[in-house]
Amino acid sequence: MFESRIGRNLWHSRPRLCENQLQHSRGRLCHMLIMLIVALTLIGCGDRSSKPAADNDNPTIALIMKSLANEFFSTMADGARDHQKAHADEYSLIVNGIKDERDLAQQMSIVEQMIAQQVDAIVIAPADSKALAPVLKRALEAGVVVVNIDNKLDDGVLEQSGIDIPFVGPDNRDGARKAGEHLAKTLKPGDEVAILEGVPTAFNGQQRRAGFEDALKAAELKIVAVQSGQWEMAKANSVAAAMLSEHPNLKAIAASNDSMALGAAAAIKAAGREGQVKVVGFDNISAVQQMIKDGKILATVDQHGDQLAVYGIEQALAMLKGQAAADDRQTPTDLITAESIK
Amino acid sequence: MGELRPSRRAAIQRMAAEYAGMTLVLAALVGLFSAMSDHFFTTATFSTLANRAADLTVIAVGMTFVLVVAGIDLSVGSVLALGGSVLGVAMAQWGWPMPAAAALCIVTGLAAGAVNGAITVAWAIPSFIVTLGMLEIARGGAYLVANERTQYIGDAIAGIGAPLAGIGVSPAFMIALAVVIIGQIVLTRTVFGRYMIAIGTNEQVVRLSGIDPRPIKAIVFMICGGLAGLGAVFQTSRLGAADPNAGIGLELSAIAAVVIGGTSLMGGRGSVINTFFGVLIIAVLEAGLNQLGVQEPAKRLITGAVIVVAVVADVYRQKLTRARS
Amino acid sequence: MNTPAPAPGSDQPTLLSLRGICKSYAAPVLTDVDFDLHSGQVHALVGANGAGKSTLSRIVSGLTPGDGGAMTLGGQPYAPGGKAEAEAAGVQMVMQELNLVPTLTVAENIHMGHLPSRFGWVRRSVMNAQAREALTAAGLGDVDPSAPVSTLGVGQQQMVEIAATLRRSCRVLILDEPTAALTDPQIDLLFEQIAMLKQRGVGIIYISHRMDEIFRIADRITILRDGRVITAQPTGELTMDVIIRHMAGRDPVEATDMGERTPGAVKLRVEHLSRGKAVRDVSFELRGGEIVGLAGLVGSGRTETLRAIIGADRPDAGCVYRNDSSTPVKIRQPRDAVRAGIAMIPEDRKQDGLLLSQPVRANTTLATMGAVSTAGWICSGDERRAASRFNDIVELRGAGIEQNADELSGGNQQKVVIARWLMRDSEVMLFDEPTRGIDVAAKWTVYRELADLAGRGKAVLVVSSDLRELMAICDRMLVMSAGRIAGEFTRGQWTYDDIMAAAFSNYLNRKS
Repeated sequence: MFESRIGRNLWHSRPRLCENQLQHSRGRLCHMLIMLIVALTLIGCGDRSSKPAADNDNPTIALIMKSLANEFFSTMADGARDHQKAHADEYSLIVNGIKDERDLAQQMSIVEQMIAQQVDAIVIAPADSKALAPVLKRALEAGVVVVNIDNKLDDGVLEQSGIDIPFVGPDNRDGARKAGEHLAKTLKPGDEVAILEGVPTAFNGQQRRAGFEDALKAAELKIVAVQSGQWEMAKANSVAAAMLSEHPNLKAIAASNDSMALGAAAAIKAAGREGQVKVVGFDNISAVQQMIKDGKILATVDQHGDQLAVYGIEQALAMLKGQAAADDRQTPTDLITAESIK
Repeated sequence: MGELRPSRRAAIQRMAAEYAGMTLVLAALVGLFSAMSDHFFTTATFSTLANRAADLTVIAVGMTFVLVVAGIDLSVGSVLALGGSVLGVAMAQWGWPMPAAAALCIVTGLAAGAVNGAITVAWAIPSFIVTLGMLEIARGGAYLVANERTQYIGDAIAGIGAPLAGIGVSPAFMIALAVVIIGQIVLTRTVFGRYMIAIGTNEQVVRLSGIDPRPIKAIVFMICGGLAGLGAVFQTSRLGAADPNAGIGLELSAIAAVVIGGTSLMGGRGSVINTFFGVLIIAVLEAGLNQLGVQEPAKRLITGAVIVVAVVADVYRQKLTRARS
Repeated sequence: MNTPAPAPGSDQPTLLSLRGICKSYAAPVLTDVDFDLHSGQVHALVGANGAGKSTLSRIVSGLTPGDGGAMTLGGQPYAPGGKAEAEAAGVQMVMQELNLVPTLTVAENIHMGHLPSRFGWVRRSVMNAQAREALTAAGLGDVDPSAPVSTLGVGQQQMVEIAATLRRSCRVLILDEPTAALTDPQIDLLFEQIAMLKQRGVGIIYISHRMDEIFRIADRITILRDGRVITAQPTGELTMDVIIRHMAGRDPVEATDMGERTPGAVKLRVEHLSRGKAVRDVSFELRGGEIVGLAGLVGSGRTETLRAIIGADRPDAGCVYRNDSSTPVKIRQPRDAVRAGIAMIPEDRKQDGLLLSQPVRANTTLATMGAVSTAGWICSGDERRAASRFNDIVELRGAGIEQNADELSGGNQQKVVIARWLMRDSEVMLFDEPTRGIDVAAKWTVYRELADLAGRGKAVLVVSSDLRELMAICDRMLVMSAGRIAGEFTRGQWTYDDIMAAAFSNYLNRKS
């Protein structure tokens, strides 16, 4: 009898009911979370920016980041907050981030939330170069100024959807090329090198990989492996360890971000090949600076992460005032080595 | 039929049957990768593989315990990140010595596990839900503690994660091996282990037999949390830095390793030694695929397929041993 | 209040006819049963526990196939291959246990299996409207069809189930203890429904312990005993005494004496134990060296009493004392009872008694791990020796201590559980249906086991639904009826009739 009861449960409407309830509650949970995030952000912004959409004199700018748990983005957000404090009479700021760098859906719903809140401008670091285009198009249609930072939206997709969103940010390819060239100087032609790329679908990841390849090929180095470390330290560590076993003559690893560079450095140390295999990274996070000083990582690239959002915000403000056209703007990248840190 | 008191020999045979399948799968994987890569079958490969497996090993031992009592702990990855962040901050910012910081890290794990266990037994809530909550809480705690920054520690912590000269494996790996052996002994030779198995088999019977299952379950969750803390010490030491993003999805790797080892998700049956084999299978697979330079999509497809095949094979192995006895 | 029935009886066409129905599991349960049900008739089926009432209704409703015999329904051969087929033929059964899905709404439960739908979408308004009709017909007009069943009381749930059954096309309706959870007004409503169904020509098979109900609505009574029809007569020709005598049998097998015993000192005293409606103010004593039977009908609160004593369920009131102590034992969970030397051997060995996937050894030592371990370490030699020793005492044969419990026969499983408590050296042992589901030979060894325990000075309480078994093995007998102790008998002073009368006593009128 018990079995038959279960059977009935399964084949009648109960599963549907459950699902409904689940979706319902999940939707509500997301909503509540977003509200919570917004609320927390507002608290964090200090009192003057705490009345965002209501204040008609000052424009409200929404900064939508990738994971705020990633140091790179939290530094960027901090830079933006500092800028806002210094220019509190010019605009108010709402900062949002997503939980996981790859959680596209959450980022999209944040954009929608911001449109609904009638912000004046959105400055966004898209989690994906293509998928965000439709929702940003809706933002433009709602009269919101949109500025793209960090990860450039795909040109093809922008063209397809007939929208024009300015990209304000560094030339990742150029930055990676600088690191690659610096690395190549310490090696001789024919040496084996490997690349740890980020998530292959991300545009900045692709650009950095291309920049590394430009420089390494120009120096006639032999690229023996290109694998993804998924932007993560532990993951990159295990991939780097395998590269080191597979290629006993490996001379260098170029990592598309500093977390992966840290993982690679740890793998080199574990393999007892410290000094024999060089590492370069990208982003210049605080943890990597000590490594550069100690000579465990050769170089990284500073794209002035703390200023990236600020550049975007300045562009948005200029556009709101009608002072600037929706043009791309390149921001500087600098090579960081042991010398430049001193 | 009469008394079927098992002779020592029968016990050894049973043991051989128990571990033969796992050893075979492992050997097949190693053979396959060795054939496909010139550099796989080297001491360097195995030494890095062993050192990297230490964190997953201890966490999988804890997970085995939890699954044996018919629970589940989804929070181990986050607890590892929390413990690692505490460790990183203690060393990098407060300047604590390594042993004290490591102890704090393990205590953090124990505390998280104790909360899991206490809530699970006090309100009789499925551990799936309680630990799902802890998954978020501990992750948030990790971000908070580490201020969302990767904590660079450097050589001060390298001691246990670095391979020892001469033998090529790290102290962490040797500690992990000891945890496996102790875990297996606890499970099979102690009253506590017997109660764990009994609770996983049928909690009601245990209760009616005059044993309170609640403290036992709570302690099991605490052990699991503590081992996640130990895993955090190992991982942080190996990487030289603590990342509050560490261990995302680690709970699934741990559960996969335990299940490959034939531990039942329904509780009451499990072997820590077989879990260790499961960990090795996962580690060899990961290292081999990385070394071959297999791209991400194929890696995931292959890893998933191996997990499913290993579990299906285990079902047949159990049918065989059952038919024999 | 009785509606004048349209001359029920043989002048109406025979609706359902059973001839020579047989069924055996381990032992014969039904032997050569004939049974006739006429249109518009309420035909009551009465008998003691295990007389075969439920098995017979299961065969008619297609839940269990019979081993032999033939059935006809409306003159056509009738051999349902399952419950669905029986329902399609118009034979509906309301089970003793609730068969509703608590999380679904009342309306969904009523329409279970044939929800009104269009293109796969449930038509909620239609469903609720139809459900409201059905509920109103069952006198449940105030129940909201869109409320989840779990929000209803047990009695209302029972009525919803009946309403759900009545919605289906119905020629024969089987009601198995339908009033167990109903209040008096609800019972009146149910009987009005039954009267309406009679007028529509539905034949009703009515199974109940409650004699007052049977005399109120049954047109005809068939009495079963040990799987045989003892008599089938119109209600008016039978009296309560006659029915009980028929259920008991003229010559109850006189007890096979299990040896002379002299009860010793009091080992367990239970005072004013109550829990919900199942256990009401139960008090009794158990002495060392005696076997006490706890008789009663199924559902009279015997199992609940045992569970309340050992703390498996928390009692609302009452105390348990050990020996002649005047301070009660504090029992909050079974652990406390076990420490006080009180053990329960549960009825459902597979569910509550054994670790099925574990070896006999582990099952035997479970409650006494301390004795085979030092400082938490199991001494496997000690454990094996202990397990062997205690399983030798209970004469576990044909199985080794390393064999898994699920591979044992029912009798051997029971022995393993007894061995566990022998090893624990519990002074008070409460057995719940120790011989259920085991064969006759194994039953005898369990009897010997019980006698042996008493011989060792233990206090033994045995719950059994087999009254003759209790009469054979017990020194003293307590009889429960509707949650209360309704009688106490000592060996030699009891008769089957007296015990049965006591067992029915609190069911005879509703005031109790």
